[in-house]
Amino acid sequence: MKLEINNFPVSEVIFGEKFSYENGILTINKEEALKVVLEDEHITDADIVIAKPGDSTRIVPVKEAIEPRFRVNNGATFPGVTGKIERVGNGKTVALKNCSVLAVGKHWGSFGDGLIDMSGEGAKATLFGDLINICLVADTDEEFERHEQQKKNKALRWAAHRLAEYLGSVVKDLESVDKEVFELEPISKRNKKLNDLPGVVYVMQPQSQMEELGYNDLVYGWDTNRMLPTLMHPNEILDGSIISGSFMPCSSKWSTYDFQNCPTIKSLYGEHGKTINFLGVIMSNLNVALEQKERAAMGVQQIATTLGADAAILAEEGYGNPDADFIACFAALEEAGVKTIGMTNECTGRDGQSQPLVALDQKADAIVSCGNVSKLIELPPMETVIGELESLARDGLSGGWAHDEILGSSVKEDGSIIMENNSMFCGDRVLGWSTKQMKEF
Amino acid sequence: MKKGILYLNQFFGQIGGEDKADFAPIIKDGVVGAGMILNSILDTAEISHTIICGDNFMGSNEDEAVDKILKYLEDKEFDIFFAGPAFQAGRYGNACGVICKAIKEKFDVPVISSMHIENPGVEMFKKDVYIFQGGDSAAKMKNDMTEMAEFGNKLLKGEVLKTAEEEGYYVRGIRREIYRADSKPANVRAIEMLLKKINGEDFVSELPIPELRRVEIAAPIKNLSEAKIAIVTTGGIVPVDNPDRIQSASATRWGRYSIVGMDRLANRESEAFKTIHAGYDPAAADADPNVCVPLDALRQYEKDGKIGSIHEYFYTTVGTGTTEAEAARMSKEMVELLIEDKVDGVILTST
Repeated sequence: MKLEINNFPVSEVIFGEKFSYENGILTINKEEALKVVLEDEHITDADIVIAKPGDSTRIVPVKEAIEPRFRVNNGATFPGVTGKIERVGNGKTVALKNCSVLAVGKHWGSFGDGLIDMSGEGAKATLFGDLINICLVADTDEEFERHEQQKKNKALRWAAHRLAEYLGSVVKDLESVDKEVFELEPISKRNKKLNDLPGVVYVMQPQSQMEELGYNDLVYGWDTNRMLPTLMHPNEILDGSIISGSFMPCSSKWSTYDFQNCPTIKSLYGEHGKTINFLGVIMSNLNVALEQKERAAMGVQQIATTLGADAAILAEEGYGNPDADFIACFAALEEAGVKTIGMTNECTGRDGQSQPLVALDQKADAIVSCGNVSKLIELPPMETVIGELESLARDGLSGGWAHDEILGSSVKEDGSIIMENNSMFCGDRVLGWSTKQMKEF
Repeated sequence: MKKGILYLNQFFGQIGGEDKADFAPIIKDGVVGAGMILNSILDTAEISHTIICGDNFMGSNEDEAVDKILKYLEDKEFDIFFAGPAFQAGRYGNACGVICKAIKEKFDVPVISSMHIENPGVEMFKKDVYIFQGGDSAAKMKNDMTEMAEFGNKLLKGEVLKTAEEEGYYVRGIRREIYRADSKPANVRAIEMLLKKINGEDFVSELPIPELRRVEIAAPIKNLSEAKIAIVTTGGIVPVDNPDRIQSASATRWGRYSIVGMDRLANRESEAFKTIHAGYDPAAADADPNVCVPLDALRQYEKDGKIGSIHEYFYTTVGTGTTEAEAARMSKEMVELLIEDKVDGVILTST
């Protein structure tokens, strides 16, 4: 499989008559773009707002982030979501770089939603503080979940995917200077030089804890809760086969943008043929029942050993209950002689003194640790809010609260906030971006 | 000028050697012996008093020694407390740890000591005291005293502290996130660690797995048919108005609610009980809270005489995202009341 991603850098996003991309400037005809959003009758109200790095702008509640992309000559950009099921990871895809489409609630937030600041200290805490964010701010008629803490946010998330695909189409006929090519030979057809290198798999544990369908990450539109571990080509991950869900406390979340650009996959490609033989991605999941955890760990172990993997990098999208899946999988791989590196974040509490993962095992002896979900973050007011600031306190976001004896509400009258890292949008960046590290103090 | 107090043993306090190890604690004005070094480097405070105590006295009469020292300090104003350095001397290390811990608890001032890595005091007290990685003998006195004093200066000036490793004290089990100065991202760190692990080279995990704390399992209940059983849950079942405002995640609060006269918990629709737990699908527990707090089943056991009685309250909090430390604190608070009410056994339900 050979994937060619043609990158088009975006330096500015503006609104105008003609939908176009020229000299790094993306011009959006808002009316036309909103038509794509409003294809779903459940969207009752929608606007598009641009947020740039350096703006005094706070965005909340953010539900999803997507890099604008388009699959040239070949069906849906997000198969099973924006179109029918077709294999991705092969052929040509165009991408608008340095920007993302955000799905933002006009009013209502939910447990897994997050916050992004475009300047100041808060902008450091999420990757998206550095990107031009094309914010789809919308409301829906999904009354059944309007006042629920857990929301599927389906209409908004799907609309954002449609919008990202639509925006990506602007460069579908252009040639880019910057091309990334991802190609792996079929496993049984590799030459001796490759086969003599240590075989490495990347094991991903995307979020799939909700038994009810509609909240979890989807692979080709299929709910990861209903999945057993399976072998995937890394190009499929980079090319839109998997979209993010709507459940996990937000700093632990992997947005679709994170999957599309997964830095760990790119690093493994970088080492392929030099220091390692990159065998592929084992797509596992994170489920709540012990039997499901054991079954998944066993499945990952089986696939890794069947492939003859010597080593693995294992990453979990979550903390708390999912730590049990992470540690079980880590132990299963080590027991099979697969030298494993784990990537995760920790929950050590506001005072830093709690056990970092809920499950521990001495076999998990090599971990890259990307952040503390429970860190308290205080941020000054921003001039502009995209979405609704009160949602952080009111709607049960995982890192916000309406009331606390000592700290008061998460949202202060002057617009300043106090929150746990838990609600920083995709803040812990376990797929590889994180420049944070846990340390002893 | 702020004030500091220094604790020394009989030897470094210039009382005498091993023959004076039973020496009861005294307090002296100003600095004694090696305290001069500390005082000269400490530019944010002066050592106003020195406490001297024999190592054996502290070892054999710990309560008495600690009481005496705390009494000496009751009317003194001080901002920081130092003990040692204790080098590799085990009894001295223990004494420094004991008194530092007691001072911190009573006066809430920073406490600083220094010990060699093989001093048993390190393992015993590193969680409670800033213990610097000191030398193995008094030849390192100047160096160790300097480290303690310089760190004291930092604390008193309110400077931003670096990591335990960079500062030079033993890790205390307090883990926080930092932004790496070199901005090296996680994928690069993972690949480096991977290649080292594959090649059998040394690597350092960013999360050393701590030793597990085990709770001893209680003895079985002898006669279940006479036992009083309580239900405790981390499943977030509360009266519909959540009167104690227990948080839906990362809980720090808990509640107990009467179940007297109830055969089962009525549900959300009948405005009785619901779940506020944000970590699982609430539909089943809202429709029937007994799936999480199994009062219905236990009442049947009670009728059948399998258990003696059900405690008049069920206890509840939320487990998702809740830190281990908060969970331990809340359960200690619950246990106190459960013991007071002569509960014999608890059924702890999760989600």
